[in-house]
Amino acid sequence: MPAPTTAITHLVAGLWLFNVLIDTGGQLAFKAAAGDPDAGDGLARWKHMASRPWLWLGVGCYAIEFLVWIAFLSLIPLSEGVLLGSINIVAIMVAGRFLFGEKLTRLRVAGIVLVTLGVAIVGLGG
Amino acid sequence: MRRGYFYLFGFLLLMGFDTLAQVSFKYAGTQALPVSASLAWLLRVFGQPWVYGAVIGYIGAFFTWMTLLKHAPIGPAFAASHLEVVSVMLLSVWLFDEHLTTPRVLGAIAIIAGIVCLGLAESREHVPETDSAPA
Repeated sequence: MPAPTTAITHLVAGLWLFNVLIDTGGQLAFKAAAGDPDAGDGLARWKHMASRPWLWLGVGCYAIEFLVWIAFLSLIPLSEGVLLGSINIVAIMVAGRFLFGEKLTRLRVAGIVLVTLGVAIVGLGG
Repeated sequence: MRRGYFYLFGFLLLMGFDTLAQVSFKYAGTQALPVSASLAWLLRVFGQPWVYGAVIGYIGAFFTWMTLLKHAPIGPAFAASHLEVVSVMLLSVWLFDEHLTTPRVLGAIAIIAGIVCLGLAESREHVPETDSAPA
């Protein structure tokens, strides 16, 4: 692979970071939409969700993420891209811990550390 | 035993849809180069068929995932839904002449080990639900 120019590297890093943020934002929005205890059941639940911003915020995040991910993958090898994208798993677990008080068991922490380590190896080593 | 085949088929289908989406994303992006925050780039992205392959992959993966979650234990389902990194890596060697460099292989091993840990963690937390899940 030819050495990428600095501008491209910055663009790749920026797109990667933006993708993590917007993916996490979208998942949290869907969680907020789906977890609303007043929502009811069946069709009424969907109507309730559709009348509130959370569902649409989630859809909007995913639409933007779709484009960001295409741009990101067009600049780096696909095998590297999917590995770097695994950081989204870590981000959503950490966000769940802080926002919804979800427990981080020892096994979860081990998983988070391993995925982060793997992403770091790929990101630094190429 | 039939339930086992159902899960296996479901996981493979999920992996297939996810893989289709990622490969399509790559083709779509490559054909729309250079990247810019402009209408011209958007038109290039949506003006060729690969982007629709990505949409089909996403929709297929979504419905497969929802069906699996209804029947399969969450832990293995979670792990399977992220293991497309393996199939995508192998395909990218064949389709895009990419190389399995040492950092990529080491990174992939660590990431897969991490995903398996997270899948096991999910399994432990959801034991009551998975036991009563009908097939």
